[in-house]
Amino acid sequence: MARIEDIPLPTRDAVLAVPCPSFETTPFVLGPPLAERRVAIVSSAALIRRGDMPFSFGSAECRFLPASTPVAEILVSHVSINFDRAGFQRDVNVVYPIDRLRELAAEGVIGGVAETHYTVMGSTDPVGMVAAADQIAGQLRQERIDSILLSPV
Amino acid sequence: MLEERGFATVALASVRAQAEKTRPPRALWTTSQMGRPLGEPNDPAFQRRVILAALALLERTDGPVILADFTEDPAGWRDSPGWVPPVLPDGFAAEITAILPLWHQAQTRYGRTSVGLSFLAPEAWPGFTAGFLAGALPVTAPFETAALSLRFVCDDIKALYGEAAQAVGAAPSARQVDAWFWRQTEAGRLLLALRDTAMASENNALKTVGGRFFVPVPWLP
Repeated sequence: MARIEDIPLPTRDAVLAVPCPSFETTPFVLGPPLAERRVAIVSSAALIRRGDMPFSFGSAECRFLPASTPVAEILVSHVSINFDRAGFQRDVNVVYPIDRLRELAAEGVIGGVAETHYTVMGSTDPVGMVAAADQIAGQLRQERIDSILLSPV
Repeated sequence: MLEERGFATVALASVRAQAEKTRPPRALWTTSQMGRPLGEPNDPAFQRRVILAALALLERTDGPVILADFTEDPAGWRDSPGWVPPVLPDGFAAEITAILPLWHQAQTRYGRTSVGLSFLAPEAWPGFTAGFLAGALPVTAPFETAALSLRFVCDDIKALYGEAAQAVGAAPSARQVDAWFWRQTEAGRLLLALRDTAMASENNALKTVGGRFFVPVPWLP
């Protein structure tokens, strides 16, 4: 459980002590009704395609994950060993909810699901992620995506 | 950063305290455990409720910082009284041989496997890890260091056993899988031994990887 009291020590203390970045600005983008929004996933689980090199420790790279990638080809290469993997082993949607988004799009709850999703190594200092953010933004504009679901591990 | 670039973002937050500190434009804290931000596996109804609660924040106009709570506990996080852990023989080589059929059953049940980071087949793991314990530093393609080769074999070992533990019958909790692996399997004992060997190594990369990326601290003896 992610209630603080349920996270075992010493992981609990480490999680609370993680230096969190502060930002000078607080941007807030408004947009269309949910039924018109096109949604992409950004996962910090360092997801890779089977056969690709795993993310390296401290990597600031971003990888594109085509929505057409079979879920059987998706692995988690995150460096941390302090989060559960057994859930992902049974169901990729606990980390990468691609099927849930597709269902919502089919029902008209959201306007669409992106053709490309994105994956980064979540333990990397955000200061080093500016280039990755630019790379992701460029692709999002090409696909006319307006909304991002950020999924941690 | 993506909000600065013109995109509306909503983050799932596993640790509320971190969301409070970083103050993203929109965040939904859930009680799901780390590693399962959308909830329990094979519970699409619950996952859907989480996503809908998160996406609903996109339509709010009371920013620039919104932190909402999704306090419904996922049903499957508790220990399963019906789960029966696999019974396995002594010795890692014999244990791997015995557990492979369960692993294959898991692949049939779930349609996939998350094993594959090491680029080594499970049959090669006993010899590979024995080499490390004997003081060798084998490097396997495509990796360029022994530390990375070993790190990803350890990841694959944990993944295979996790999948095998969930192959049949009632699904165990994450805690049950971990307790079984680290306390009742030769593989768990092997990783503890590999950690000790790595940390005693003169190879600094191996020392670092072994100390940080093999055994979660709660499971150290």
